[in-house]
Amino acid sequence: MTELYRLRSVTKRYGSNVAVDIDALTIDAGRLYTLTGANGAGKSTLLGILAFLTPPTTGEIFYAGERIDWMSDIVRRRRRKVTLLHQSPYLFGGTVFRNVAYGLKARGIAGEAALRAVARALETVGLEGFRDRDARELSGGEAQRVAMARALALCPEVLLLDEPLANIDRETATLLETVIASLPSRGTTVVMTTHDPDHPARLNGESIVLEGGKIAHADL
Amino acid sequence: MDFLVSSFAAALHLIGSFSPDVVEAVRTSLSVAAGATVFAALFGVPVGLAVGLSDSRWKGFAVTALNTLMAVPTVVVGLFVYGFLSRQGPLGALGLLFTPTAIVIGGTLLASPIVANYTLASVRGADPQILPTALTLGAGPFRAAATLVGEIRFGVIAAVIAGFGRVIAEVGVAMMLGGNIRGFTRTMTTAIALETSKGEFSFGMALGIVLMTVALVVNLFLSLLQRR
Repeated sequence: MTELYRLRSVTKRYGSNVAVDIDALTIDAGRLYTLTGANGAGKSTLLGILAFLTPPTTGEIFYAGERIDWMSDIVRRRRRKVTLLHQSPYLFGGTVFRNVAYGLKARGIAGEAALRAVARALETVGLEGFRDRDARELSGGEAQRVAMARALALCPEVLLLDEPLANIDRETATLLETVIASLPSRGTTVVMTTHDPDHPARLNGESIVLEGGKIAHADL
Repeated sequence: MDFLVSSFAAALHLIGSFSPDVVEAVRTSLSVAAGATVFAALFGVPVGLAVGLSDSRWKGFAVTALNTLMAVPTVVVGLFVYGFLSRQGPLGALGLLFTPTAIVIGGTLLASPIVANYTLASVRGADPQILPTALTLGAGPFRAAATLVGEIRFGVIAAVIAGFGRVIAEVGVAMMLGGNIRGFTRTMTTAIALETSKGEFSFGMALGIVLMTVALVVNLFLSLLQRR
């Protein structure tokens, strides 16, 4: 397995509160990891760090062998390889197309190529025909699927999912679970937080358990 | 009471007959206010964004400074700019004092803190996920900031309109920096002050009606935006 992330002595503090305190963690490419733990265990903070959105207070992070310097352009470059899907995703005003094509546009992909990528992503999440719908008028489950399509359209190396199956109906959850489980075989590494203890087995993933910001258990 | 009624009727006649003095004052007011608003928007919106998005330990100080600047009396702004533009001032050689440009400069200083503060309020009220979402989708800092502005555009437009409202209604800066020169720097507010002191109450009232109409339109537009 190719090593993708390596974290060494990574901590994240908010004032006196230590949100994350990880001695060592390695994440390999093309695998699926589930992050479990109680509320406040540091799952979302860790995802923010892995997404290169939240700089750690101390420690080192290597991505594909390259040490991340948070003050340099490396962060922006690496950020484009990784996409984080928030628990309650924000959809930009405008159409579903505008949302799904947002990241493509940021990468200079437009026209026919963007149309094809958006159509493919919407098809994956079962939202064919939603392209011109107003994103703000979608139901919670539809919005979650649009956000997933928006991330999938970019074919990221890593997809970080913050409780993607919470607060959605059973049917949507089953569909998204199938999509998520298929990603490692397409070369996308997945790290998802969940409260469902059955997810690691059901998604054929590795389990990482966080407690008080520390890794309490990991099938690594 | 008869005095008020007859003055009001005379004021309506002046407006209806497009009195050149009224038209000129309205034109000057609108043009200097528009100019100052454009510059205030160019300065105030980025400042409001920068302060709103900053996590610097100086943020609290910057917010306090902006709030303080909002409360600065117009005559103080007029005095400050006058010091720079007067013949003995550092910019005296430019010959800008008592020109519409001087009023635009003063108006820009007056409106910028308002635009910045309203923009700051919009940023604070925005969904905190907008920026992280844009960044994680691959946007650079400028595209992400532009996306944020797009998402809070009604708040930003409201900020700019509030700035316009401040400039068009003020009298201190226009009087001190414009000099109230007829047909050149005489705005609605300075004309009202002058004509009323001369006893031309109906003329002042005519301009007052126009000014109130402008304020009404601006505020109607503002409340329309705030409902969206």
